[in-house]
Amino acid sequence: MKEVAATSAYTTQTESETAAIGRALAASLSAGDVVLLYGDLGAGKTAFVKGLAEGLGAPQDEVSSPTFTLMQEYRGGHLTLFHVDLYRLDDPREIDDLGLEEIAADGVLAIEWAEKLPPSRAQRFGGPGSQAVVVRIEYGDSDARRITIHLARS
Amino acid sequence: MRILGIETSCDETAAAVVEETGDAAKPWAIRSNVIASQVPIHREWGGVVPELASRQHVRDICGVVERALTDAQTTWRDLGAIAVTQGPGLVGSLLVGVAFAKAASAAAALPLVAVHHLAGHIESLVLHNGELPLPAVVLVVSGGHTSLYLVDRPGSYRLLSRTRDDAAGEAYDKVAKLLGLGYPGGPVIDRLAQEGDDRAVPLPTTRLTHADRNAPELKGDLDFSFSGLKTAVLRLVRAHDGPLSDAEIADMAASFQRVVVASLIEKLFDAARRHGARSVGIAGGVSANSRLRAELQQRGERRELPTFVPSLTLSTDNAAMIAAAGLRKLRAGITSPLDINADAALALG
Repeated sequence: MKEVAATSAYTTQTESETAAIGRALAASLSAGDVVLLYGDLGAGKTAFVKGLAEGLGAPQDEVSSPTFTLMQEYRGGHLTLFHVDLYRLDDPREIDDLGLEEIAADGVLAIEWAEKLPPSRAQRFGGPGSQAVVVRIEYGDSDARRITIHLARS
Repeated sequence: MRILGIETSCDETAAAVVEETGDAAKPWAIRSNVIASQVPIHREWGGVVPELASRQHVRDICGVVERALTDAQTTWRDLGAIAVTQGPGLVGSLLVGVAFAKAASAAAALPLVAVHHLAGHIESLVLHNGELPLPAVVLVVSGGHTSLYLVDRPGSYRLLSRTRDDAAGEAYDKVAKLLGLGYPGGPVIDRLAQEGDDRAVPLPTTRLTHADRNAPELKGDLDFSFSGLKTAVLRLVRAHDGPLSDAEIADMAASFQRVVVASLIEKLFDAARRHGARSVGIAGGVSANSRLRAELQQRGERRELPTFVPSLTLSTDNAAMIAAAGLRKLRAGITSPLDINADAALALG
């Protein structure tokens, strides 16, 4: 049963504005929280995670796309940020093998291409005392992006 | 001395035997270089699948090492050390190589040398060409990395810059997917680009910093960025009325390749100028790109700066480069204890 839920929406015009939303979100995260990022190629998911890293106190210039490496971790902040990218993974069984639930317990887990998670799987994040944050980034006019953030704490 | 190298950081299980030559100018020779390529396995998944990769490494590692020793006409007794990639990479994959190397090191009583994967790529230049005139600036560019390193003395690697978002090879893969060209994207875009007009599609160039050579140098201005380029291709493909024709795909491939290569070459030579480099090199999978090789050579000749690339075999992930980097460390007196662990986020420089 979700006890607290809130949705907010933003429009950004630049990549650094997108990162700033991530930076602001970091303040409301704690260990065990999972950020699920949805959005098309080039929407700004990695830029958002850059902001998240900075907000958590980790060096944001270390953040780059983990598409090839699948997972990167950034230490140095008050919480470790685990940055996962499911872009290359097409089979849910392979996603199981990443052990995302175990990772999530140790810090903040940000997952790009959360579309690849089976819905039942996505709902499993945010166990007792932790929260699942759903971030959707959509293309707007020209360089604009619409970002909606849904927080649910159980 | 002969050294066994083992590399399992991503999708290749590889082992090699490299020997010292006694020639200071060209210190190492390859006796064997075996790669059990997993590309056919991964292609059906459209990428590297971690659990598949580590299972395949487990299945292949013993055979690959045995083959490397046989090809090199070398027995365990002939070896002086074992070098292994400790990171960065997929942890499940790295663990297979590290565990094997530790066990073999203990069983055969050989020193163990843990190697950084990118140090291996940098040393692939020396393995193929001989020692570089130092200081050298080296671009390591692949599916997972786009980084500039300064080598000011042998075995020293200083990180100068890296990508802020996508690696160049990753941008190739994603653009190839957008254009319906399949995986991996590098070779197919390179091939199609040769049939296209590289000025046909107006794509944004990443910020270049060489316009004012006297301007103060800003922190991070040697960094790379390929995400905006990828987004621009996406917008053009989506805005196009119906599917692109073969000629339009070739033009897109050529234009994309022109912009990527220009960005890589500009920053490489900009870094070389700033750091007084006496040579430049490009290593890693994308160094196989024909346009990148051609522009490197042209720019080097214009700047009167020697340029280096590895052989095509040594450009992609391989164990010979790990063996070479291992010999470099061993001769500097650096070995690793048996309690080392694979480190997915291992840093270099």
